[in-house]
Amino acid sequence: MHKRGTPLALLLLCTLTGAPSWAPAQEARPGASQRPPAGGAHPMHQRGPKQFSLANSAGARATLWKPDLGRIPLAIDNGILTLKGTGVDNYHALVIEQDWGYLVESIISYHYMRGKPSGRSTTELTAARKTRLEIVPQPVPREHHQYETGERWGFQVRFDGRPMAAQTLTLETAHGTTLTGISDAEGRIDFTFPDDFPSLIRGERNRTLAAFTLSTRHLAEGTEYISHLQGEYRPNPRHWRSLGLGVAVAGIGFAAGGLLTGFGRARREESA
Amino acid sequence: MNPLKNLSVIRKLVQLTTFVFFIYGGFLGSYYLADKVSGALPALHCAYNMDGADLCTLVPFQHQMDHRLGPIIAQGGNLLMGLMPTLITLGTFLLFFVFLNKAFCGWICPVGTFQELLHILGQKLGLRRTGSLDEETVRRTRPVKWAILGLLVFGFPLLTGLGWLNHDMGDPFCRICPSRILSTLAAGDTSQLYVDTATTTTLFWSLVADFLFGLMIAMALTIRLPFCRICPMLALHAVFRKLGLLRLVKNPSPRCGKCGLCAKACPMDIREIHTEMDKHNVTFEDCTLCGRCVEFCPDKDVLQLKYTVFPLFSADPQYFKVRKKAQTEWEKKTLFGNHAQGVKKSGAKPT
Ligand code: SF4
Ligand code: SF4
Repeated sequence: MHKRGTPLALLLLCTLTGAPSWAPAQEARPGASQRPPAGGAHPMHQRGPKQFSLANSAGARATLWKPDLGRIPLAIDNGILTLKGTGVDNYHALVIEQDWGYLVESIISYHYMRGKPSGRSTTELTAARKTRLEIVPQPVPREHHQYETGERWGFQVRFDGRPMAAQTLTLETAHGTTLTGISDAEGRIDFTFPDDFPSLIRGERNRTLAAFTLSTRHLAEGTEYISHLQGEYRPNPRHWRSLGLGVAVAGIGFAAGGLLTGFGRARREESA
Repeated sequence: MNPLKNLSVIRKLVQLTTFVFFIYGGFLGSYYLADKVSGALPALHCAYNMDGADLCTLVPFQHQMDHRLGPIIAQGGNLLMGLMPTLITLGTFLLFFVFLNKAFCGWICPVGTFQELLHILGQKLGLRRTGSLDEETVRRTRPVKWAILGLLVFGFPLLTGLGWLNHDMGDPFCRICPSRILSTLAAGDTSQLYVDTATTTTLFWSLVADFLFGLMIAMALTIRLPFCRICPMLALHAVFRKLGLLRLVKNPSPRCGKCGLCAKACPMDIREIHTEMDKHNVTFEDCTLCGRCVEFCPDKDVLQLKYTVFPLFSADPQYFKVRKKAQTEWEKKTLFGNHAQGVKKSGAKPT
């Protein structure tokens, strides 16, 4: 795809420990180690450091943005990046940048960390300009929530902090779905997360997480910019939760309430 | 009666405004937790409503028992560190609570408002409503809220955090709370009305939740505030009610013994409001500081809503007369025309 024939997606993040995450399978990503997602753990309850492996990481810069927009440079040790808590809670942004001269690539991912209340809104973190070309979640799923299949979520693409209209964005999921869309005049684009988890069994809970990458590219001043937003999504609980049955049970409750109050009144009338 | 001089009308306007604010307030920019008004609201507004302006304090309490205190006790860690988030939440709760005391129930809570609106609907549909519940029912119901607070808000989540119960027991009150279903449905989201077949525990709690929600709707049509009577928030308020700056006070008169209109007016059937002759502060554990008893007390200044030492609203024979007339007029009007309509026995029946 890349016109100069260089390897695409020069950087790749995948989780080694911590909240399960793995990147979309792609052929031309040398050095990438991949691991299928582990299920079960609630990502918000994840404690301890997370580790990521990075492909082609030589020369890459990693920065952790705290909720108060303070920045911590992170070391990438032999392609391994360790993300430790900062002592404050709320979303942090992990920004990895690689400048290849002709191509500037960046990956941004948002990570919830535990600690003392930060008192800061994630709006500040998303609003801050972290890279020249940036895909910004609008919003990031609220604390303790997650992207779910079948849900529609908004993103904005910006260059130098300004919204980019008519920009092509591609959403790739770990389960092989690729969706493409074009941003509107405000640089906004909505994607509905595909219901593509394999082996879901109706009525059985599946808390597996899978990674997605939202990417876009832009040519400016002779340099190509590629930016990725990485995150995780999970199956919609509607696979094991039934609205119809819920309505039916509420209906039974309603009928029981009617009977009970009718009966209660009759009894009081008798004793009166 | 000028509606704007009618305390119940004023209260309804406040309730409707706060209902809209808390359910849809997220549009004003409070999507993330840090943007919420308090994060520990002393009323049942649900965290599952992403568009809401705040969330109720019972959410963090359960979460902290399950994910903080429980694990720290289990690992033999520093107890104070385990309790710290809960103390911070409690402090935030109290900061708000002190200002309005139990009026968070009578004036702010969306579930309280919803039940009152249903009761009005019941009246307008011409249903025969129950004026006051009998003493025995009230007496037997009262401990339920304490059990729910103790077990579902603190006990089970703590045991889950200790590793004794499965993860789905970590937030049992949220799982049955009518506010979860109400707040999300009101915001156009049906995701919280479900039967969850994932595990036996989720199946159990979801069945209880849906049944309770339907039950509450049916009962609220003819009984005043059915869910409030078992609400753990009411119990939590009761613990701290002496700290509240707003309170209900009584200066008993010799006529109190015979009258009892206050108790009949009380939507929570607090008969003690009538029988209590010694205590000055009569903000009882079930009181929601709605002020109806004050409105329907025919004796000058016998009942008062006071903010610290300042009376905000006092019983007054003149007010009582017009208010009672307005109530009779209001109750005559139904969707099927004007006709006198029954409220069982108890007589002074207040909507
Ligand atoms: S007692 Fe009623 S008004 Fe008070 S918090 Fe509970 S549901 Fe709301
Ligand atoms: S005692 Fe008075 S203020 Fe309290 S709930 Fe009853 S009527 Fe309302």
